[in-house]
Amino acid sequence: MYPIWEVPYFSSALIIGLIASFHILPSHLAVGAFWFNVYIERKAYREKQLELLDFIKRYTLLILIFCFVFGSLSGVGIWYSATVASPRGISALIHNYVWGWATEWVFFLIEVATIYVYYYTFGKVDEKTHLRIGYLYALAAWISMIIITGILAFMLTPGKWLETGRFFDGFFNSTYWPQLFARTFLMFGIAAVYALVVATTLQNKAVQYKITRLAGLWGILGFLIGGLMTYWYLKKLPEPAQDFLFGGTLPYLKTLLYVSGISWVLALLYFLLCGALFPRANTLAGSLLLMLILFFGIFAGEGLREGLRRPYIVNFFMYSHQVVAADLPAKGIQAETELLSEAGYLSRLGYLPPELRKITPENQVEIGRILVIHQCANCHALSAKGLRSLPKLLSGMGMTDPEDLAGFLEGLDGYPYMPPFVGTEEERLAAGAYLSTLVENK
Amino acid sequence: MDSFANYINTLRDVSGLPFYPWLFDILLVFTFTCHILLVNLVLGGSIVLLWGKLSGNPYGGRLSRSLSRVLPISLSWAIVLGVAPLLFIQVIYDPFWYFSSVISAWWTLAFLALIALAFSLFYVYYLRGGYEGQGNPLWVFLALAALSTVAVIIHALSLQAVHPERWSEWVVKGGRVNFSGSGLYAFELPRILHFILASVAIIGIFLMLYARYFRARPDYPSEYLAWVERTGARTAFVFSLLQAGAGIWWFLTLPRTFHFYIHPLFLIGAGFGITLIVVLALAQARPSAYTWPVTILAFLTVFFMSYAREALRMKYLHRAGYSFADYPVHPSWSSTALFLLTFVMGLVILFYVGLVAFRAGRGHKEVGSHGLGKLAVTLSCLWIGIMVVIGLVISFKNGALP
Ligand code: HEC
Repeated sequence: MYPIWEVPYFSSALIIGLIASFHILPSHLAVGAFWFNVYIERKAYREKQLELLDFIKRYTLLILIFCFVFGSLSGVGIWYSATVASPRGISALIHNYVWGWATEWVFFLIEVATIYVYYYTFGKVDEKTHLRIGYLYALAAWISMIIITGILAFMLTPGKWLETGRFFDGFFNSTYWPQLFARTFLMFGIAAVYALVVATTLQNKAVQYKITRLAGLWGILGFLIGGLMTYWYLKKLPEPAQDFLFGGTLPYLKTLLYVSGISWVLALLYFLLCGALFPRANTLAGSLLLMLILFFGIFAGEGLREGLRRPYIVNFFMYSHQVVAADLPAKGIQAETELLSEAGYLSRLGYLPPELRKITPENQVEIGRILVIHQCANCHALSAKGLRSLPKLLSGMGMTDPEDLAGFLEGLDGYPYMPPFVGTEEERLAAGAYLSTLVENK
Repeated sequence: MDSFANYINTLRDVSGLPFYPWLFDILLVFTFTCHILLVNLVLGGSIVLLWGKLSGNPYGGRLSRSLSRVLPISLSWAIVLGVAPLLFIQVIYDPFWYFSSVISAWWTLAFLALIALAFSLFYVYYLRGGYEGQGNPLWVFLALAALSTVAVIIHALSLQAVHPERWSEWVVKGGRVNFSGSGLYAFELPRILHFILASVAIIGIFLMLYARYFRARPDYPSEYLAWVERTGARTAFVFSLLQAGAGIWWFLTLPRTFHFYIHPLFLIGAGFGITLIVVLALAQARPSAYTWPVTILAFLTVFFMSYAREALRMKYLHRAGYSFADYPVHPSWSSTALFLLTFVMGLVILFYVGLVAFRAGRGHKEVGSHGLGKLAVTLSCLWIGIMVVIGLVISFKNGALP
């Protein structure tokens, strides 16, 4: 096991969640926007409405800066934060899907090349070539989504991979297609929101209203079909996830679903009223507010998607405390839960000096702290304030005695959303001893 | 096996590798070379921009205008080219990379935040008059400061990764484990100098190429371009010498037991480096005759030096009992083929896009090569079509659909 990065108050999982949710905005814009762009550009050439090009230039600059500064870096940010929050989790993904990411990377190269050429050759190359560069960008960006969706969906529904360990068996899994289509259509909606924002900055009112109207239509279409696809996705969720969400095991997930549902409805209303029907009603403040609402919706949606996978990083294969949960004979992998309950979790903490690898009365509490941080800190704050604070939850249950706490740890896998505590009896007692200091010092 | 080497082996990923490690290693070195060249361009470019802007020389001013556009674009490329080595290093050196990142978690994240900051500052400079010759150089200065911090961070992370023997003392202090991820533990001056000085040498060579490229454009005065070319050749020469000096210093600090002076990759790299310096010396009198030899030699030097850096990493990790050659392999032929075929296809598409950029930059409005352009679009569509067919077949076979 690697050491742990303990984030005070928040938990490391929440940091990933924040970065990942932010990333959705630029990344889906990067994918969706160009379809809107080439659509408008083609229209401009065909109908000889060259004033539309003014919009495209501004819009492209927004994409260039927002997507390629913040989008690409927040994308790497998800990866980095997952690396430091859950190295064995990201490692498992990379060692199975490295060629998927490498393939995606080829399209990143194409995206960077085409977006700069597109932006800087406005009016400097013939129309056909310029439009073609736009198409190349749009295709490459969509392909990058085709790839990353496979890996994301794999984490929730690894399906047949759990038996075969094969790349494509995990990639084209039961939630792949609904998720791909949902993202594809929702991204048109996201692109439409940005178009609404940019449109308000245009001088020429006729062009402004025309773009606003078109963006409204794109948004309505994208969100309606995207909503349908999301419904299909929810239907395809594996059973434990269905229980978490609809069975009331984790009520907060339902709240998240409502939040994203409401933001979806609000966005649709805005597209309809301030876009398609009354383009005059679209203002900079209004469209920015819409973007904020959308951000909350996405944040909730992503939180939901992550929450559904509890207590795993890769569903049914690796627990969120990075312990391998299942055998995979095809790759010679053995579950670690029983293995380490016998040999001891400490047997894997080779980075500790020898004096911290044998439990004694003097070091018992420190070792308990190490074990608790390793196995709980990904989801719980250890401080009295903070996300799912352990001292608070434990004292709420009225537990203070080390042995009671150790007993509680033994039954931890009774909770469907928590991984089992992995370790020997002695290690459980050490963790219990530390937890009791947490409750007492609260 | 001693227990620490054993620990490192338990850190290796349980899934093993999806292909033989040598392929990841070659890709790692090749993509790292491309990445570091772009990083050099960004760092060196910001230094030369500031110098040109502040020197008061009108040619320097003009050069700084061009560079204001070059910088954000190069930074984009540096980032996207950095993704690949970052990926491959995690495949074959995962225990070291992950350990080092986790114990410096906040720095790992600050690394990205600082790049985002520098990127924004480059754009602020470019869009607020930098390209027209105004613009406040403070922005570029701050960006340079941010990027230098980035260099220190990634330097420390790489160095921490090759010193597993010190991990324990870094993490545990006085019987208590530090899980805060707020420390940065390693720094070697000659090593980081050897990366930074190279930046200025590389930008010198870039300037030679710049002068050659824009000679075809009537709006670039030939005296200006001749000045750029001379400046570039001189800068490249002087900084290659300094770079060699830093390299020798670094080399002398390496552990004796490595016997690095007889390592073939190092010797090849050093050979190219010395040749480059000699050719740069010759180029001072008539730089334009040497643009291509210098460029090619510089690429080869950086490539082989990157390989030597890789060999050095192996030496360090051998000490800890690690070799990626023992990593269990479960070849995934299908996904390896997916990448390799896509890569070739990507090169065709990138060639077309590059051609458009090249011709447009030279002032041709009718760029031509429509056949190639159509091929690029067709290939992308074909890629999607093939994936969808494979996907549907597998999905129905596995019962993932309907
Ligand atoms: C996968 C993330 C995860 C991990 C790892 C995890 N928990 Fe939890 N835990 C949860 C969630 C989610 C809840 C429900 C919180 C809520 O209802 O607000 C919870 C609830 C609890 C509760 C309250 C139970 C109740 O009945 O209300 C306790 C106590 C607790 N966890 C202790 C622990 C301990 C101790 C560990 C480490 C051994 C741990 N958890 C590891 C996710 C996790």
